[in-house]
Amino acid sequence: MKSKKLSEIIIKNFKRHGFVLSEPDVLLDSEYIIERSGEKFRNLMLTFENEDGKIMCLRPDLTVASCINYLQKKTSSKIYYSGQAYRRSGSKGFNFINDQLGIEIFGSKNKMKDDFKVISTILSSSKKIKRKKIQIKVGDIGLFKSLINALVMPERWRLRLIRHYWRRNYFEELLKRLENNTDIDAVTFDTDKKRFYEMKKMNQSKIIAGRSISEILKRFDQKIKDPRSFSDGKQIVKIIKSFLKINCKLSKLDKKLLDFTKKNNLEKKIFKDLKSIQNLKKLSQDIIFISNFGRDVEYYTGTVFEVFAGNKEIARGGRYDNLLESLGAKKNIPAVGAAINLNNI
Amino acid sequence: MKNIITIGLPSKGRLKDKAIAFFNNKGLKILQSNRERNYFATIENKPDIKIIYLHAKEIIQRLGDGTLDVGISGLDLLNESKKNLQNKIDIKQKLDFGGANLVVAVPNDWIDVQTVADLEEVAFDIRSKRNTRLRVATKYPNLTNDFLISKGVTQYKLISSLGATETYPFIGSSEIITDITSTGKTLDDNNLRVLKDGLILRSTACLLIAKKKNIILKSFLKILLKN
Repeated sequence: MKSKKLSEIIIKNFKRHGFVLSEPDVLLDSEYIIERSGEKFRNLMLTFENEDGKIMCLRPDLTVASCINYLQKKTSSKIYYSGQAYRRSGSKGFNFINDQLGIEIFGSKNKMKDDFKVISTILSSSKKIKRKKIQIKVGDIGLFKSLINALVMPERWRLRLIRHYWRRNYFEELLKRLENNTDIDAVTFDTDKKRFYEMKKMNQSKIIAGRSISEILKRFDQKIKDPRSFSDGKQIVKIIKSFLKINCKLSKLDKKLLDFTKKNNLEKKIFKDLKSIQNLKKLSQDIIFISNFGRDVEYYTGTVFEVFAGNKEIARGGRYDNLLESLGAKKNIPAVGAAINLNNI
Repeated sequence: MKNIITIGLPSKGRLKDKAIAFFNNKGLKILQSNRERNYFATIENKPDIKIIYLHAKEIIQRLGDGTLDVGISGLDLLNESKKNLQNKIDIKQKLDFGGANLVVAVPNDWIDVQTVADLEEVAFDIRSKRNTRLRVATKYPNLTNDFLISKGVTQYKLISSLGATETYPFIGSSEIITDITSTGKTLDDNNLRVLKDGLILRSTACLLIAKKKNIILKSFLKILLKN
């Protein structure tokens, strides 16, 4: 079969680059996945109830499944897999089954080196199986975070924007709220304040629906001090929107960012952590940088990329430094990986 | 032979009385069976109409499977039901009774939580500090899920409740609830408060029909829908 032959070519290339086979479980505990790695999977998973009443699912994503495998069975930290991921999609007639060949580097301390390793391995594999013109699009979730941290706004807003970056529709709604300042309500604020002083006299460790009085009052206090109204909302939203429009050749990125910071009166150095992305120039390959990119997967934290053959996406991946910890690792384990989607080849 | 029309009406409480009144006002006098607890009734001079009293939730189910042709039930129950069931049912008219709101409610003393955005933050707090999720008790899991996710609240877990949901936050079964309320008194009496933007659905009783029966019901609906 054609695809079998292609798989063999790709796997051979993975092995040549030092990746070791890992075979993650097909059946996973769905609660574990939702609990640890986010709601995104809730509506996508194919689930069934086992005899104990536990809801199991077919692995919706091979990166998550490989991480679980790594944590539970202590597999090698530089792995490849070949298998299927099972999930629904919004659109009708779409295949439930995704045939994927992927690689992951767990415990990736040297960002620059490992990002390069993953992207170059995927690129060389793609070139072995596709004759069409190959193009890479990259983005960097970290850049967005740097921007948000450099803008003047209440800490709560900062966290909110970063937290919901991957959820596009809701993010737009947040921007609207930021723009119009619809986060204030003076009337109830006064009555709340009265209750605040009453509660201050109560036993602070008393629990109300799972939260201690001290916890509630602390957050209330922060809300008062954290200026809820700030007139610069419009300006901030303008800056964020114009950042998300950056779309250029990787070779032009430096200049683009410089122009952007100048134009918006921001310090140049806010985008200092660009080494990993810049390093990709070594690939001698057409690379397009798009700031508004990699926003549909919740777990990405840094470099994200997609490989296109003609106008078809055939592979994608990125850095996900917090996923292993949220899946239960005792310490932070940075990681990076990517997969080739065989269905698109 | 003429088609028999089967109508499902709520079997209990105010909704039952109002539904009966609705038919009587249209000149369709409902005749109760002599036996008080009988679940069947008829309409005066309309031998081809049969009335069955059912649980409001059941009415939706039976409209979906074709047992009933017409029914009165709540919009909340219809919207909460599965999509493929909803697709089989048409809302002919929203009625002026049975009004109630499905809302998100939190304990009064959570004074730092006024909006859904606050709730979203607190949910993340709970998640990051204790590695557990905010528990939301509800009788309406589908509507609650859709609402919370659309508002960016994702770090929560639903606890399904069959009744007295208002007690859950205070007996350790959940932190917050969503529930249906008409006057707000039950929430208030149980030290709960509705979030400012916590309205999930404005519900009323509705006149519903099985979609497939639309044509057969045409002349009957004319009587029902006239003012």
